[in-house]
Amino acid sequence: MQLLGNRRFITKVVIVVVLASLGIFVLLPTFYLVSFTLTRWPEVYADVFANPLIGDANWQQILRYLTFSLRLSLIAVILDFLFGIPLAYFLARKQFFGKSLLEDIITLSLVIPTSGFGVATLLTWTGVSGLGALIGRGIVEASFVIPLINVPLLMLLVHVALTFPYIVRTLQGKLEDLEPAFEEASRTLGASAFTTFRKVIFPLSLPALFSGGVLAFARSLGETGATMVVAGIHTTAPMAIVRWVSEFKLATASFLGFLLIITATIAILLVDFLLRRDGGFKTLGFSMTPRIGDTILKLEKAFSGKVRWLKDFVSLAVVAVVVILPIIIVLISVGAYWSVDPDTGKIQGSVLYQLFGPSNYFATLMKATLASIFVAVIATYIAACIAIPSVYLIKRYRNGRILRYLLRIPLIVPSSALGLSVLLLWGPSGLNLGTPGIWLIILTHIVFSVPVVMEPTIAAYEGLNLLRYEGVARTLGATPYDAIETVSLPMLKRGILAGVILSFTRSLGETGATFLVMGSDVTVPPLVVNMVESLAFSAALFASAFLIALSLVLLLLFRIVARR
Amino acid sequence: MPDVKLANVTKSYAKGRILAVDRVSLHVHDKEYFSLIGPSGCGKTTTLRVIAGLVEPDEGEVHIGDRLVTHLPPEDRDIGYVFQQYALFPNMDVWDNVTYGPTVKAWEEEKRERIGREMLQMVRLYDRADAVPQELSGGMMQRVALSRALAAGAELLLLDEPLGALDAKIRNELRYEIRHLVKDLGLTAIHVTHDQAEAMAISDRIAVMRKGRIIQVGTPHELYMNPKEIFIANFIGESNFLEGTVVSLKGDVATVRLRRDLQVNSKKTEVSQKNERIVLAVRPEAFEMAKGKKKLVNGLSGAIEKVRFEGTDIRYEIRLANDDSIVVVRPSLRGGWLKEADEVTVGFPPEKSRLFLYPPKGLRAELELE
Ligand SMILES: Nc1ncnc2c1ncn2[C@@H]1O[C@H](COP(=O)(O)OP(=O)(O)OP(=O)(O)O)[C@@H](O)[C@H]1O
Ligand SMILES: [Mg+2]
Repeated sequence: MQLLGNRRFITKVVIVVVLASLGIFVLLPTFYLVSFTLTRWPEVYADVFANPLIGDANWQQILRYLTFSLRLSLIAVILDFLFGIPLAYFLARKQFFGKSLLEDIITLSLVIPTSGFGVATLLTWTGVSGLGALIGRGIVEASFVIPLINVPLLMLLVHVALTFPYIVRTLQGKLEDLEPAFEEASRTLGASAFTTFRKVIFPLSLPALFSGGVLAFARSLGETGATMVVAGIHTTAPMAIVRWVSEFKLATASFLGFLLIITATIAILLVDFLLRRDGGFKTLGFSMTPRIGDTILKLEKAFSGKVRWLKDFVSLAVVAVVVILPIIIVLISVGAYWSVDPDTGKIQGSVLYQLFGPSNYFATLMKATLASIFVAVIATYIAACIAIPSVYLIKRYRNGRILRYLLRIPLIVPSSALGLSVLLLWGPSGLNLGTPGIWLIILTHIVFSVPVVMEPTIAAYEGLNLLRYEGVARTLGATPYDAIETVSLPMLKRGILAGVILSFTRSLGETGATFLVMGSDVTVPPLVVNMVESLAFSAALFASAFLIALSLVLLLLFRIVARR
Repeated sequence: MPDVKLANVTKSYAKGRILAVDRVSLHVHDKEYFSLIGPSGCGKTTTLRVIAGLVEPDEGEVHIGDRLVTHLPPEDRDIGYVFQQYALFPNMDVWDNVTYGPTVKAWEEEKRERIGREMLQMVRLYDRADAVPQELSGGMMQRVALSRALAAGAELLLLDEPLGALDAKIRNELRYEIRHLVKDLGLTAIHVTHDQAEAMAISDRIAVMRKGRIIQVGTPHELYMNPKEIFIANFIGESNFLEGTVVSLKGDVATVRLRRDLQVNSKKTEVSQKNERIVLAVRPEAFEMAKGKKKLVNGLSGAIEKVRFEGTDIRYEIRLANDDSIVVVRPSLRGGWLKEADEVTVGFPPEKSRLFLYPPKGLRAELELE
């Protein structure tokens, strides 16, 4: 009895500690910006809408950046869907040589440090050593805007490259779970492959499509690192936050951050509402007049026949062009720029000169690398310590669902808004627990690392029916804690590992939030942006290749460990 | 007119390591109720899927009616297919499921409505048209799946273990219902099952498969009375197998020496020579049995080791004087029940037994289900 009482007490303590750390380290920083904006409303209002000098010019700018960002994200997500869906279907249903390599490449753009990827894209499309080598000059100007949709090409390319994996991964997982019998039944009843997709597969995987779409949208809305590198003259909302903070326009910056958080949250709520209403099945099931219906059926039939391979080909080609090509080119170009700038022939433009010359970027880079790894290790470790017990809270208690819901918000909040929130909360102008620097970076990275570790762990948990196995262990005489330690944790290992790797690489590549809280303790991704901005392009090239290589090595390690 | 012809159809998996279907040739006649049976993993489903176009064969040809369909996608084959787990679309109600075929074939509104109504009335589920599949019982889902397959207008119905997921009582009722529908509508049906009793009860003809090959095709009666192989004698119904050698052959009768010099007569089948090593197969229900020492045709004495009451029948496990074990089945309401340890005499008419050559790999290997 004594023992039982003790155990209950320990359970309570554990719960309180976990909840408290979730609240303090994750939820408080996420929502602080909202309360900051609301509690200081007069100040914000004065700055944004009624500035004595410029009137509501700040508001006009906010509106402009926000609509630009929304348009960019929306178009990126539409493109993601267009070729992510066929790709997911292809991966889910076909077995072929090199499939796991292709899957790795798709994952790669989730873990790759974005500013490095930005450099790669910039080089590929505008540099002479990229695709331009074919025609002797850059393919496009960095600021080239696609007519009609009015979005800069390079930005769109990086946003698609960095967000389509969310669609592919979630949809592929769903399709693999979906019984092939549904498709087969549809085919035997006379429906062509495309009709089957529209009437059966698509409605059944709508929830997965929606959640993938939300993640992709949110990531695009908050993307900073790669965007800053390829931006040229354009400015997105997260970039504006970074700039305003560096100009000490905190009120305006926080109002924009507030709007970004609200937008992302509304997107989640909306999708959740639609899905809850009828499982999402009927949401897109608009009715058609019979004539149009028949025409569509005929078209689908025609497409199901001869040109079916085309969709696979196109989506694979897109992956090759927007993901693989830039990475290869950046790795190769380090060699081309090694001792001389191939463009101008000047030695000052070479990798060697910029790294070891007067500006000595090499020392800075090494210091930044150490800082990056230190931050990633500590933040991931603390995040794992908070996230793993949280998974148990979420799955074991009835109200855990609310917690899970709340914890998805840091995943979709644009990271520069998050950084600003942390800065205002813990920084000198808030509780003053730390000045911008490495500890503040760690505090920031913990905020998004907790949900990043948690999601794959929950997914693993849900796939395993752990309660049953733990039950078995307990009928064999194990205490609840023994059961968790000896049965569930080992079974969850893969999920946890995936989460830890994702969180580690994400921390390693994070740019937007880090910019705001780093002070003088620069990590690698902001350093790359700084290099680009100070026109030390070859040094940026080297640092990008270095970052990409680092994350490739990590991914490789992950595969080796996961095989075991 | 949909008859179905398979010619040398072969399909392997895992880079040829698993031969799921091995040079199968088959002719299913128009309007025939045909069953494909065999132990688990023998390739029944794969054969059916080749016919449906859900699997493309490595080799061989498939004809449906006078069309060569080997490389045609399933939607162009005009078939109805009923899946074991029904595969009712969870995103549609019963009505939309049943009218799915007519809809995707772009039939006219009026025809679509009529067919949907008829089909649902036929399986007595018209009043459940608004239900979603998850709300239905197993038997109802099965009937919806059946009417959905029929509504698409196909004259060839393929059924893969259509009753496999139902409990015994409903299974028995539904199997006759399916046969009736098929016969009433004048369809050709190919029915896959591993339940030989089900196949026997409803089929015009049956093909028995084993390890990817078809080993015998015939009416239920033929398969029961004249199994071509030991395996079939055991798989269709049940058989006792006694090892022995042929002593003499006279006219239609073969005299066989069992272990320990017991002699019995049997019908001369397959066996052609004296001194040949054979297996004598006798069905449990072919035996007569009497208590104590009696004079019976092919009489053998033994003792009852175990009695099992199975409702309709009683099973006796009997050890013969030569130490062979056999099973004898008697209808339970025929009276004269015997107890364990009773001494008995059993006998069987020669024409109700069969001789098989002793299988080269041994009897046990021959009877294995895999
Ligand atoms: N898609 C597949 N990939 C690999 N092997 C397969 C596949 N489909 C079937 N097989 C193998 O082919 C063999 C025949 O399978 P099939 O499903 O046709 O058997 P079955 O007679 O229907 O068995 P059951 O009664 O268990 O349904 C089996 O050994 C099976 O493991
Ligand atoms: Mg089967």
